[in-house]
Amino acid sequence: MLRLPSSLARSAALAIGATLAASQAFAQPVDTARIQAGDANDWLTYHGSYRSYHYSPLEQINTNNVSNLNVAWIHIPGRSTRGLQSTPVVADGVLYYTGSYSRTFALNGATGEVIWSYIPELDEALISRQTHSPYNRGVAIGDGKVYVGTMDGRLIALDMKTGKPAWDTKLVDSAKLTVGFTGAPLYAKGTVIIGAQGGEWPGRGPIFGVDAATGAKKWEFDTVAGTDEAMKTWGNDSWRTGGGGGWMPGTYDADTNTIWWGTANPAPLYDWSGADFKTQGARPGDNLYTSSVIGLDADTGKLKFYHQELPHDTWDFDSAVGEFLMLDRDGQKLVVHPNKSGYIFVYDRNAGLKNVWRITQNSNFVKDIDPKTGELIGRRDFAAGKQSEPLCPHISGGVSWNSGAYNPKTGLYYKLGQEWCMTLTVSKTTPITAPQVQLNIGADFKIAPPPSGEIYGHLDARDPVTGAKKWEVRFPEPPLASVLSTGGDLVFVPDSRGTLHAYNAETGAELWNHADGTGHQGGIVSYAVNGKQYIAVTAGFGGMASDDYAPTFGGVYKSMPRDDGALIVYSLK
Amino acid sequence: MTRHASSSAALALAASTIVAFAQLSIKPALAQQAAAPADAPLDVHELFATTCGWCHSDGGRAAGKGPQLMDTARSDDFIRNRIKNGKEGAMPAFGQVFNDSQIDSIIAYIRGLKPDQG
Ligand code: HEC
Repeated sequence: MLRLPSSLARSAALAIGATLAASQAFAQPVDTARIQAGDANDWLTYHGSYRSYHYSPLEQINTNNVSNLNVAWIHIPGRSTRGLQSTPVVADGVLYYTGSYSRTFALNGATGEVIWSYIPELDEALISRQTHSPYNRGVAIGDGKVYVGTMDGRLIALDMKTGKPAWDTKLVDSAKLTVGFTGAPLYAKGTVIIGAQGGEWPGRGPIFGVDAATGAKKWEFDTVAGTDEAMKTWGNDSWRTGGGGGWMPGTYDADTNTIWWGTANPAPLYDWSGADFKTQGARPGDNLYTSSVIGLDADTGKLKFYHQELPHDTWDFDSAVGEFLMLDRDGQKLVVHPNKSGYIFVYDRNAGLKNVWRITQNSNFVKDIDPKTGELIGRRDFAAGKQSEPLCPHISGGVSWNSGAYNPKTGLYYKLGQEWCMTLTVSKTTPITAPQVQLNIGADFKIAPPPSGEIYGHLDARDPVTGAKKWEVRFPEPPLASVLSTGGDLVFVPDSRGTLHAYNAETGAELWNHADGTGHQGGIVSYAVNGKQYIAVTAGFGGMASDDYAPTFGGVYKSMPRDDGALIVYSLK
Repeated sequence: MTRHASSSAALALAASTIVAFAQLSIKPALAQQAAAPADAPLDVHELFATTCGWCHSDGGRAAGKGPQLMDTARSDDFIRNRIKNGKEGAMPAFGQVFNDSQIDSIIAYIRGLKPDQG
């Protein structure tokens, strides 16, 4: 396996990028050992680290001085169709991030200066047929390369120093399946893992393991009927158009060499089966491994364990959220994973269920989920026709696909919950797969207020294992971006109107806010260069959830662009 | 509903396991089927529940991510063009999915939309 930089490559890089932070010259290559060790100055994976806390231990910016936070620099990626949804990664003072169409940038983390950029040539005719596109949610780094997926089904590796493509591997026949990759990959021990889109797009939702050195595909796991056992859970051969997928990066458990991944929903989104879903409707059976949490061997892609959070999901409340908090609590190693429904699942390291709690107030797709067995109690299975009672939460979820943050200092999990519902008329549909796969929804629906009154969103500070709530802050419209917590006892929430808020992590008191000029729907990270702490956030609105905001809320959303965005980086003066 | 596994797709899958650079990862998921084989009349009501309805709420009767289609002032040409070519970042292009006569039936459906009785 090639490991850069060699001392030669290092000096060459110095000659080219003389303005780079001095620390970079002494940098160790980013590999699994370095990601595991972690360094407060870096943000080495999409979720910050393999622990997936979205937490930075840096404390230079803190409750006492956050009011002095100012914009240090801005970067405009261009062509931000459907907004800017990515989360940067940072190593050795260099920030790597993507915009729509997988436009990839390496920027000097202190100044914003462009070190290199890579604008891939994509199949634009194919992209024009897609819906959940052309945004890109980020990169992975490791073994001297930056890895990015594309909407036309490719995974590309770029040299970390130069941005030159090292390899470009076609993984999905997107021209036929209409879907590709929007999620960031995950790097673990010489393998790059990336999951395809799917869900309401009929297909088999593969997750891939690719050799980081050569780009050769090592393994592929189909989230739809990926084993003989799973095949039996799709009546009438419905696995052929099952959906699934794993479009957000999960994480890596180095102790057991296991990839944790969350899988997407089955197609059609809504089923007309009624209560007899095991034998009737579009896809009779439990539909494994959709709306599940799965553990795959990192080297072989073989399934080690799974827990299906929603057997026969007929609400589009999938498990694709890639957030897996790896906690050590009272001698137990736990994993916390939010399901899109707003139920938060707590597992041991083999996906054995430890607890389930709920973050939303308005929820009626089930009466409850048994915290011991995970059984869905009082589930609503629809027959074709208009449903008398609105379905809660709304299709955009009780939580977004973006991530919350866990702060090991406070022991609290800061997570956004959404209160909204929808009217629903379920219809029988037939999957369209020729000449190219088309969306398969299975219903007409419309956003509706919850029984509790107006639509709103809330940031909760809770115990991640028990769900016990310490405080809550409400927002008039659900925020859709990721949350950041820091060692400076702060929680940052980029909201939908375009304001970035900082709260006291202990009390929830708002300490500072700043307008970023447009709605947020991506990530927020913190890092340091030459001893100075920075907060980097992407702003830029658009996509299937945010497109509902103008017709639903009016106000600032009426004029908010859905083809624009910027990376905004803050520091103390 | 009939679903046939395509034998060529199965072959392609077998092939892909020996191709290192994974150029062909064609899934057997693609049975040879379509909601409406060319020339067959299109069930536009079902099409909205399948593909259009996420953005055109209530079968096209209400505004959502996309505009309300009922009572649209747009010309047939405009509608035909929008369905064929879509609009970047807003609406997918369907020019490769539907032929002209199928698009005619979509236009007829939109022109015939009435407020929901329910
Ligand atoms: C991903 C969301 C989405 C899907 C799916 C979608 N549309 Fe659209 N549609 C839109 C948006 C947004 C517009 C407005 C585009 C613009 O800005 O002019 C639109 C515009 C239209 C228009 C023109 C209306 C007008 O007044 O300008 C028609 C007709 C239309 N869509 C029909 C369809 C049909 C038929 C389907 C399904 C085969 C469909 N759409 C699927 C989002 C969608």
